Amino acid sequence: MAQKMSDYYKANPDLRIAVFAGKGGLGKTTCSAALSDWLAREGRRALCFSTDPQASLSDIFEKDIFGKGRQELVDQLYVMEIDADKRIAAFQQEVRQKILDMYGIKEIPKEIDEYITAAAAEPAMHESATYDAMAGLLASQEYDFYVFDMPPFGHGIRMVSMARILDMWIDKMEETRLKAQEYGDTAYQLQQKGAGAGQDEMLRELQEIREKLGFFQDILTDSKRTAFYMVVAPEKMAILDTERALDMFRRMDITLTGVIVNQVYPRELLKRKDLSQFMRDRIEMQQKYMIEIEKKLGDYVCAVIPMFDREPKGLKMITKVADIMMNWSGKIVED
Amino acid sequence: MSPEDEKDAPEEKGSVKGTVKDFFYGMAMQGMVRYALKTRMYLEHLFMLITLGDMLGIPILPPYYSLKLLPYAVPNIKTWKRTLFKERDFTDALF
Repeated sequence: MAQKMSDYYKANPDLRIAVFAGKGGLGKTTCSAALSDWLAREGRRALCFSTDPQASLSDIFEKDIFGKGRQELVDQLYVMEIDADKRIAAFQQEVRQKILDMYGIKEIPKEIDEYITAAAAEPAMHESATYDAMAGLLASQEYDFYVFDMPPFGHGIRMVSMARILDMWIDKMEETRLKAQEYGDTAYQLQQKGAGAGQDEMLRELQEIREKLGFFQDILTDSKRTAFYMVVAPEKMAILDTERALDMFRRMDITLTGVIVNQVYPRELLKRKDLSQFMRDRIEMQQKYMIEIEKKLGDYVCAVIPMFDREPKGLKMITKVADIMMNWSGKIVED
Repeated sequence: MSPEDEKDAPEEKGSVKGTVKDFFYGMAMQGMVRYALKTRMYLEHLFMLITLGDMLGIPILPPYYSLKLLPYAVPNIKTWKRTLFKERDFTDALF
């Protein structure tokens, strides 16, 4: 029998992060919200952070929080849904202002201004901005626990691989920069001009980026501090997607903590005589896939959440979902 | 000699000591200094290519980080682009 999620959290007090990944529309945001709510009730200062561009924390908590920064919902429970577009616009302005201040000019040279505008339109920009926001939040250590609701594309863990590639490039950049500096210094010394150009601001910035990314990557791949969850539904596509993700996790040295099966129609419904054929077929189909889930992902399943008669919205419903999710210890397929 | 160098050693100009020093500098060091500065230039251009390659259609670093480094690179962008786009022939290897 699987360990209850609540017991898992009590047995691992070093856990500081939970990441929810999975296909779109299966309830990642609901599960993130539920876990945050439970943690807050346990007295831990929890932040639920949505990185999903089709963010829906606002819908779930029935409060407009999109792009409004951090909001405290109830005691100890904080939520944040970032508006990547707004963030990028602010970032562009920051870069422009920095150039103006650094060189004491009144106007940004045309080609540089065009570059700033063009760069911001690239799709990778959204990911990077979100990623940077996450890394910044973690580095601040303002909360006891961070719950990240990842976007569906690439299972969100692409962010981790991005950190690795970036790290490699930054290594190379630092190397070239240091070498260039060395040659510059040598030239200065040979000319008997004393020391070289002094502190390199660019190098400092690079090192700062690398530290931030390194810290983020370390913490995400450390299963003592980070829990990774996949949310799945008893459907063919979702199961296939989870299997693929599992494979990806393995390749990236990430340990999958658990799989949460969501949107499961209660099996007891089958006993009802007035049940329509449509519903009967659907429930039977789900049961068939539940057997497949047990076979393929059984070791990982840590909670099964039923389909509710209404959308899990509002704090009350979220608490209900949280109690079911955190205390589930039954069987995946009932006899 | 650049104006900066003259400022560094005004009293040595014209003196025997200064002339001898310049002579030996030219003979022994100048080549090395030139080589060091040239290598630094190449490395810096390589660095710029990794950082801001996007500007020329060579995307290497995600643009977010390029933009973070952009302010520091502003004064070098023009020279970098000019060097990169410059037509080259075999005489470049000689000088």
